[in-house]
Amino acid sequence: MQRPDWAPETIDIERPSVARMYDYYLGGSHNFAADRAAARAMVEAVPEAPLMAQANRAFLRRAVHYLAEAGVRQFLDIGSGIPTVGNVHEIAQRIDPESRVVYVDVDPVAVAHSQEILAGNERAVVVQEDLRRPEAILRHPDVTRLLDFSEPVAVMIVAVLHFVPDSDRPEEILRTLRAALTPGSHLVLSQASDDGRDDTGERAEAERVYRRTDSQLFIRGRAELTALFDGFELVDPGVVWVPQWRPDAPDQAENAERAVFMGGVGRLGA
Amino acid sequence: MPDDVATPAGRRPGVFARAWAKAVSGTSYLPMTQAQLEEVLQRLTDRLAQALRADPFDLRIGQQVGAELVQSHIASAEGLGRTVEVIQLRLVRDLDLVVDDVEDRMARLLATVATGYARALRDRTLDEQESIRRAAMMARAHAERALRDSEARFRHQATHDPLTDLPNRTLFTERLTAAITTPGRGADRVGVCFLDLDRFKVVNDSLGHQVGDSLLVAVAQRLRRALGEHLVARLGGDEFVILVERTAGTDDAVKVAEAALDAVREPALVDGHELTVSASIGIVERPVSGTSPMELMRAADSTLHWAKAAGGARWSLFDPDRNRRELARYALSAAIPAALDRGEFYLDYQPLTSLRDGRVLGMEALVRWRHPELGVLRPDSFIPLAEETGLIVRLGSWVLAEACREAGTWSTTDADAPFVSVNLAVRQLHRPDLVPEVRGVLGRTGLAPDRLQLEITESTMMSTVVEPVRALRVLGDLGVRVAIDDFGTGYCNLAYLRDLPVNEMKVAGEFVTGLRAPAGDPGGRTDERILASLVSLAHALDLTVTAEGVETAHQAERLRAIGCDAGQGWHFGRPGPARQHLTHAPAA
Repeated sequence: MQRPDWAPETIDIERPSVARMYDYYLGGSHNFAADRAAARAMVEAVPEAPLMAQANRAFLRRAVHYLAEAGVRQFLDIGSGIPTVGNVHEIAQRIDPESRVVYVDVDPVAVAHSQEILAGNERAVVVQEDLRRPEAILRHPDVTRLLDFSEPVAVMIVAVLHFVPDSDRPEEILRTLRAALTPGSHLVLSQASDDGRDDTGERAEAERVYRRTDSQLFIRGRAELTALFDGFELVDPGVVWVPQWRPDAPDQAENAERAVFMGGVGRLGA
Repeated sequence: MPDDVATPAGRRPGVFARAWAKAVSGTSYLPMTQAQLEEVLQRLTDRLAQALRADPFDLRIGQQVGAELVQSHIASAEGLGRTVEVIQLRLVRDLDLVVDDVEDRMARLLATVATGYARALRDRTLDEQESIRRAAMMARAHAERALRDSEARFRHQATHDPLTDLPNRTLFTERLTAAITTPGRGADRVGVCFLDLDRFKVVNDSLGHQVGDSLLVAVAQRLRRALGEHLVARLGGDEFVILVERTAGTDDAVKVAEAALDAVREPALVDGHELTVSASIGIVERPVSGTSPMELMRAADSTLHWAKAAGGARWSLFDPDRNRRELARYALSAAIPAALDRGEFYLDYQPLTSLRDGRVLGMEALVRWRHPELGVLRPDSFIPLAEETGLIVRLGSWVLAEACREAGTWSTTDADAPFVSVNLAVRQLHRPDLVPEVRGVLGRTGLAPDRLQLEITESTMMSTVVEPVRALRVLGDLGVRVAIDDFGTGYCNLAYLRDLPVNEMKVAGEFVTGLRAPAGDPGGRTDERILASLVSLAHALDLTVTAEGVETAHQAERLRAIGCDAGQGWHFGRPGPARQHLTHAPAA
């Protein structure tokens, strides 16, 4: 599965990219015709798709806010996608300009776009790597330059793990990352879930849509997600539908399961 | 958009702003809390109220409100639709506004808001499209650069030696081929210098491969520095090669070789060891027309071996005549197996004659090759190569068997028939099956063991390996005679005279030559004294002594006077068929 380092990823804008589809769901225009066509097909299959993306993005915003308030000043956002509005560094650096953020994405276009956005920001950087190669991420020179792993780091794996099949051993990926962290570090995790939902065939349809893209979809339930927090202490309210995670207002958590994403935040104890 | 924007007036959101916020939430992703959204919309509500009241009507206010909505990321078609709806339905009522021509003004206000909004959304869309296209282009350019870099890296790896980073054989051959097949103007001659470090193996063996590798790296750096304009490649091991293009003549290549030798000769500090090494170089320089890269490389390689054979730390220049001779010699040795099969070898014999009574004591078997094209060849033209290549073992076996067979025929009538003396090469002596082979030959031919003498040279015995010594003892116990050949010219180790079952000492012809000198010549007297000492030494050890190279009656007489037992040489008989010596009257 691993490419030799001398064979660069091809840039094929005719092929839908999950990063750019996500941008489209969020109302952005950082996408191409192929991305929009795939995203519209997804909306037909799962009408809540844009809502899912927005709810998940809002979860990310609230989680970063929470962590920054809790004193975390370092963020490693893996699977960051197209950095549109409400980026981690925007939120974190507004609370403390010294906050340092490393974005990681496998999509070369997303990385190039991030580079443009981050130009001139000395405390935020993007690296092109694959979530499935956590060792490579941890020893990447930009990661080791910007992040001090003897201090707490928030590892964010938001809306990306559903593109990683069980055969790629997500629990081992997380174990590798956790081993690099010091107590006080956090894990922010969310992914597509069907926990408790009636099977309306949407799952199969959604997976079918994503087969056309550069990534396949692997949906996981609450128990599986909770297990991935192994070694971390889950922050209240645990693994929930993302709108239910510390909402700004109680009414925002209504019909939360329609958001399709479940997520949570875990803290690494001493 | 900041999370913590506060309304400039700091006013709490009114009922209209809250309704507006509720209407637009969920239309697109809003990077802020509901409270922040309400604050933003409260500020815009104030502007809308101002626009409705302003006289004259100000188009800009509504347009600015539209644009600010987009900037606050309330930036979707639905967002605009809900905004128009909520303003039309609720603004005047919720704010208790009293305005003349309210319908007319409301229509104009909504038109300006929609215009500002659409314009800002369109601009934002265009900007985002441009930025994502630029990112795609950058990513593509980056990927292509990475591909080119990796191709260049791959090409470099394929054409360079990983240890020294010098070009490797592949690149060298490419450049040499180009120099020969497509020479530029004035490039009608080319030179190749093959360089090899002298005794590099000693460095590796004594200081380790790591030091050896560091030395190679140091040598590579110096060669590159000293010969900058010429291509220096590493072929492997401690072999380097230099391409000298556009030579005007041999001198140009020689100059390069001398510079290379100088560069290598400087002492090198490697891992704390000061190492001084030398190199040997084979030079070939010739016109490009009529030659090929293969031929040049091969010629330079064999020329390198001449430099090595001459002691190293020097260059040698390719010599076509010498090369031809060596090739001929090589071809000759390669033809030995087929010649054995075709029966092209035969034996001549030279008598070992008693100095006491002139009787033929024994006969040395001398191999001859009746070559179909070159005529009869003497052993010195093919034995040394046969020894180098190992073919001597097969040839030697044939000689042993044939000599024993023939000697068997000599003894039918005469109980005192002469023994046959056969030369044994080093390689034969080291073979584990020497004893069974000799036993087998004696068995098959019925030759009595004491009628076989094996001649070994002094140098053969210099190695103190146990196996050959044991083999000779076994053969000695069988009754086979053992003679030391060419005694006195090699490394005279007397220890083996004590340890080995030696029966006979054959004294080298050099000492006998001195006996021909006129009486009173000091050199002749010295030789005579040496011979006398050797004879008394041999006799003290119970060995018989045969003098080789006896050419005159005078020499034979002197040897007899000294007490030498037997003689061999032209005086007693030239090499020839056995029967010639058996029937000859003994020489006195």
